[in-house]
Amino acid sequence: MSQLEIKDLHVAIGDKPIVKGLSLTIRRGEVHAIMGPNGTGKSTLAKAIAGHPDYTITSGDVLIDGKSLLELEPDERARAGVFLAFQYPSEIPGVTIANFLRAAQQARLAEGEELDATAYYKRLYSKMDLLKIDRKFTSRAVNDGFSGGEKKRCEILQMAMLEPAFALMDETDSGLDIDALRIVAEGVNAIRAGAHPPGVLLITHYQRLLNYIVPDFVHVMHEGRIVKSGDKNLALELEAKGYDWLKKATAA
Amino acid sequence: MSASSSSSTVAHSATGAFTPDAFAAHLATQPSAPAWWLDRKRAAYESFASLPMPKRTDEAWRFSSIATLTLADVQVGAGVPAGLSIESPFGPVALTFVNNTVVRSGERQRADLPPGVLVTTLSDALANHSELLRKHFMAQPQKLGSEKFAALHTAFIADGAFIHIPRGVEVAAPIVVVHAAAGANTAVFPHTLVIADDNSKATVIDYFVSLDSLSPLASGPSPAPQALALALGANDLYAAHGAHLTYVAAQAWSRDTLSFQLNSTVVRRDARVQSLNLHLGARQARHESLSQLQAPGAFSEMLALTVADGTQEFDQRTLQIHQAPNTKSDLLYKNALRDKARTIFSGLIVVDPDAQKTDAYQSNRNLMLSDDAEANSLPGLEIQANDVRCTHGATSSRIDPEQEFYLRSRGISKAAADELLTFGFFEEVLQRLESEPLHDALRSLIQTQFQK
Amino acid sequence: MKPPSDLAAPPDPAIDETVVTENPVAGIDQTAGDFSYNVKYDFDAGTGLNENTIRYISSVKKEAPWLLEFRLKALKTFLDKPLPTHWATKDLENINFDKIRYYLSQGQKPKRTWDEVPDDIKKTFERLGIPEQERKFLAGVEAQFDSEAAYSNVKELVKKQGVIFVNSTEGLREHPEIFRKFFGKIIPTGDNKFSALNSAVFSGGSFIYVPPGVKVAQPLQAYFRINAENFGQFERTLIIADEGAEVVYMEGCTAPKFSTSTLHSAVVELVALKGAKIQYITVQNWAANVFNLVTKRGVAHENAEIKWIDCNIGSRLTMKYPGVVLKGRKARGEVISIALANDGQHQDTGAKMIHAADETTSNVVSKSISVGQGRATYRGMVHIPKHLKGCKNNTECDALLINTNSRTDTYPAITVRGDQNATQHEASVSKVNEEMIFYMQQRGLTEGQAMSLAVNGFINDLARQFPMEYSVELKRLIDLEMEGSVG
Repeated sequence: MSQLEIKDLHVAIGDKPIVKGLSLTIRRGEVHAIMGPNGTGKSTLAKAIAGHPDYTITSGDVLIDGKSLLELEPDERARAGVFLAFQYPSEIPGVTIANFLRAAQQARLAEGEELDATAYYKRLYSKMDLLKIDRKFTSRAVNDGFSGGEKKRCEILQMAMLEPAFALMDETDSGLDIDALRIVAEGVNAIRAGAHPPGVLLITHYQRLLNYIVPDFVHVMHEGRIVKSGDKNLALELEAKGYDWLKKATAA
Repeated sequence: MSASSSSSTVAHSATGAFTPDAFAAHLATQPSAPAWWLDRKRAAYESFASLPMPKRTDEAWRFSSIATLTLADVQVGAGVPAGLSIESPFGPVALTFVNNTVVRSGERQRADLPPGVLVTTLSDALANHSELLRKHFMAQPQKLGSEKFAALHTAFIADGAFIHIPRGVEVAAPIVVVHAAAGANTAVFPHTLVIADDNSKATVIDYFVSLDSLSPLASGPSPAPQALALALGANDLYAAHGAHLTYVAAQAWSRDTLSFQLNSTVVRRDARVQSLNLHLGARQARHESLSQLQAPGAFSEMLALTVADGTQEFDQRTLQIHQAPNTKSDLLYKNALRDKARTIFSGLIVVDPDAQKTDAYQSNRNLMLSDDAEANSLPGLEIQANDVRCTHGATSSRIDPEQEFYLRSRGISKAAADELLTFGFFEEVLQRLESEPLHDALRSLIQTQFQK
Repeated sequence: MKPPSDLAAPPDPAIDETVVTENPVAGIDQTAGDFSYNVKYDFDAGTGLNENTIRYISSVKKEAPWLLEFRLKALKTFLDKPLPTHWATKDLENINFDKIRYYLSQGQKPKRTWDEVPDDIKKTFERLGIPEQERKFLAGVEAQFDSEAAYSNVKELVKKQGVIFVNSTEGLREHPEIFRKFFGKIIPTGDNKFSALNSAVFSGGSFIYVPPGVKVAQPLQAYFRINAENFGQFERTLIIADEGAEVVYMEGCTAPKFSTSTLHSAVVELVALKGAKIQYITVQNWAANVFNLVTKRGVAHENAEIKWIDCNIGSRLTMKYPGVVLKGRKARGEVISIALANDGQHQDTGAKMIHAADETTSNVVSKSISVGQGRATYRGMVHIPKHLKGCKNNTECDALLINTNSRTDTYPAITVRGDQNATQHEASVSKVNEEMIFYMQQRGLTEGQAMSLAVNGFINDLARQFPMEYSVELKRLIDLEMEGSVG
C-alpha cells in the first residue's frame, strides 16, 4: 500500500515561516481532512507539496513510498502521483480542456510513445459520464470564464483522468453553493469508489464538506502545526465549539 | 579573401547585385510585355537606384537592424531545378511559382472554380487583362519605409499570381498560391494581386517556402553572412463594394533569407478584408502592411502570428488609414519570442480629418519565452477627427507563472507547458478565421517550429 | 564650425531695440498671449549667440573657469547638433536663434507700470484669483517678488534642517563639492540640441540639496526666492535628495506668463539617492508664441522614488518628456501628465522610463485635451534592457478631442528584453460624451459649462495629485480655456 509521508515540514513564503513542523502520513484510499482557521497554513502545505515556486521548504521532507519529492520539479511531482486540486484554478485561455488533458496524459508516457487518441477520448468521455459533465465541456478553454462550480468540476475531471495516488484538495468547497458542492462531492466519492482510489488530503475551513465526503481522519491545524487529530467526530465538535475553543486549549 | 571584402562594400551600396546590367538582362527576359509595363519597370529601377538604403535615423526603421539589409551576393534570375516536390499544408494548389517562374498551374483545382473566376499568372494578365493589371499593380503608395525595395520589386518582378473574382461570385474553397525559392543565393520577387469585385467572396492563401535547405524551418547555426537569399514579395488586395476577402500569408523562408513582404489592402464601401500573416522563416523579415479604408462601411481586420527563435528578427510595420467616415479596422499582432530573437512592431492608426465615426483598434502582444529575446513595440495613433473610437495596447510579458505551475502540477513538463501556452496565446488570433481546416493547417505549420 | 555672429567684442548693450517689438518668429499669430512691451534693455547680452555671448554671461556671473569651459563646449555641441526634425515637428525650424536674447542680467530688468499691462491679462489674473503681489511680478511690473514675508518661516525651517536651496549661480559657486558631482551628469550637454543650448547659456533655476534622512515637510517652491531670472528662459535646476531624504518641489503657476522671449529651454536634473523621494510638480501656462523645449530627467537609486507631475497649457510648441533612470534595485519612477492644446498649439509631451536594475517599476499616466485645432502628442519611451528581473512598466494615455478638427497623436516606443519583466501600454482617444453633455444641459448648464465640467472630470483623478491650490487654479484655467470651444 503506497503512502505519502510528510515529515516535520517547515514552509516559508519569502522570509515568513508559515508551516512550522507538520507531520502526517496518508495511505492510499484514506481520506484525511485538515481543518483550521484562515491563515493557519493549510493551503501553504498543499502548494508546497506540489512544488509551487513561491513556497520554500526550509526543513523536513515529503516522501512517496520513501522517496523524497523535494528535489523534483512540479511536473515530476505530479507524475510521481501528487495531484493538487486548486482553490483558485488558473484560467488558461486558448487551451481546450481536451488538448490540455491530452498533453497531461502524453507527459505520462515514455519518450517516443504516442497517446492512443481513440482510447483517450473513450476514457475521457466515460469519466465525463461518471461525473455527469456535458461533452461540450472539453472544447472550452481550461477554466476560462468558468463559474466557481465549473472550475471545481474541471478539477475533479482532471483528477479522474490522471488517477493520482494522492490528491490534495485545497478548499474545494469554497465559493460553491450547496448544489455545486453536492455534485463535486459525488465526483470525489465516485473516484474513491473506483479502481484506483487515491489517498486524499481534504483541506477545508468548514465542516459542511465533510457531510458529503466523509473523512477517515480529521486534523486541526493552527499556526502551522497539527494541534489535534481525531476521527470525523472531531469535525463535529469543532463545528459546535468553534476554533476559539481549540486555540484556548492549545495555548494553555 | 579579396572577393568577399570587395563585395561587402557593394553590400552597402545602393544597388547591390541589382546593377544596371542585371536590370538590362532582366528586361531582356520580357520581350513581349506591353510598353506601359516596361516603362513602369524602368521608372521603378531608376527610383530604386537613386533612393538611399535605410539609415539608422529613419523613423520608419527605428530599432531595425540596418547593417544586415544587404542586396549584394544574390543571384537574379536563377533557373528552376527539376524534380521538385512541394507540399502545401493548405490543400490543393492553384498556382506554383519557383524562382519567379510558374511551374504548375493547378488546372484541376482551377477547373473547379465558379465560372468567370480568374486565377492566372501576371504574364497571362499582361497579355489578356492588361488594363485591370495596370490599374491595380503596385498602385498604392508606399508609406512604411520600403519605397526603395518596392521599386526593386517592380523593377525585377518576372511573374506572379493574378486573381479576379467577378461581381457577386463566391468561391468556397481557398485559392492557394505557392511561391518557392530554390537554390543558394536566390532572389525571388513573389507577387499576388487579388481583385474581389462587388459583393464577391473568396479566400486566397499565399505560402512562401524555400526548397533548398535541409528543412526550411530548421534554425541550426546562423548562416554565414555570404549565404544569403532574398525574398522581396508584395501583394495588392482590392475589395470592391461589399466584397469579402480573406487573405492568409504563411511565410516559411529558409533561415538565410532576407525577406520583405509589402502588403497593400484597399477596402471600398461595405467591403471587408481579413488578413492573417504567419511569420516563421527568414533570417530577417520585414513586413509592411497598409490598409486603406476608403469608403463608409469598410472594415479591415489585420492579424499576424510570429514565432521568432534563434537570432531571427521580425520587423513589422503597419498602417491603418481611415479615409472615410464610418470605417473600421482591427489589428491584432501576436509574437512569441524564443532564444535570441528580436521583434519590432510599429503600428499606426491614422484618422483623416473627415473620417468621423471611425472605429479603430490596434493591439500588439509579445510573449517572452527567453531571457535573451527582445521585443520592441511602437503602437501609434494620429487622430484628426473627434467622433471616433480609437484605442491601442501593447504588452510584453512572460508566461504567467501561475498558469505554468497549474500545467506542471498536472505532470506536463516545462517545455510542453510553454508550447501549450504559446498555442493558447495564438488561439485568439486563429479563432478569428472562420475556416476550421485553415486553423489546423496554420497550427501544423506553427508546430514545426517547436519540433526541433 | 562657424559662430553665427561676427561680433568680436561683448555686445553693445544699446543694440537694436526694434528686435523686441517685431515678431521674432515669422508667421505666427501673436495677438493672443503675446504680452511683450516696447522696452529698453540697459544691459543684456544682445541678440544672437556666439562665444562672446557665453563669455559675457559667465563674467557677469563671476563664474569659475571650469564653468566657462563647460559653457563653451556646450555651445559647440549646440551648434553641431541638428534639429531633431527626423522625428519631431518641423515647426522647430521656425526658431530663429539669431534673434533671441540669451541673457538679461539680474537687477537690470525692464520696468513698466501696472497701467501698461493689457486689460485682458489683468482680467485673466483676476479670474484665476492670482494674489496681487504675484500679479505684478507675473506681468513684469516688478522684477522682484517679495516672498520673504510669506515664506520666511519655511525658509528658516529648511535651513535648520541643513537643506541648501539657492540659485544655480550660487549653487555652483558656493557649494561645488555638492553640486558639481551631479551637474550635467543626469542630462549630459549633448543629450539633445536644447540641453546643449541650456548648458551654454543657463541662468537662474534652483539648486537644492537635502541631507540624509531629512524629510522636507512643506513643498519647496520656485516662489520662495522668486525673481525675474528665476522665471527666465534658460533656467537650470538640480535637486539632490541624499539617502532617505524626501522633498517636493513646485515650479510655475497657472497664470499666463509674461514673456519677452519666444524660446524657453530649461534643464532639470534630479538625483534621488538610496531610499530618497523626490516629487517635482510643474504647472505651466505659456504665452501662445513660446517654444517651450525642456529636458527633465532624474536618476533613482536603490529603493528611491522620483515622481514628475506635469501640467502643460499654452505655448506654441511644448516638447517635454520627463524621464527617470531607474538605477538601483526596487527604484520607482512615475510621470503624471496633463496637457491642454488649444488652437495653434502643439503639446508634444510624454515620458521616458529607463530601467537599469532589477525589480524597478515605472508608471506613466498621461491625459491630453485638444481644443479647436490644437494638437496633443504623447511620445513615450520605455526601455528594459537585457537580463533584468522583475521590472514592470504600466503606461496609460488618454486623449480627449473637443472639436471636429482637433488632433491627437500617440507615439510610444517600448523595448523589453528577457522573460522576467512585464510592460503594458494602453491608449485611447475619445470625445466628450454627448449624452453626458445633454444631461447636464437638461439640468440647466450651458453647453460650455457642461463641456468644462466634462473636461475637468476627465482629468480629475490626475488633478487631485496636484497640491490643492494648484488644482483649484487648474480647474479655473480649464474653464477659461474651454470658453469659446463650443457653439
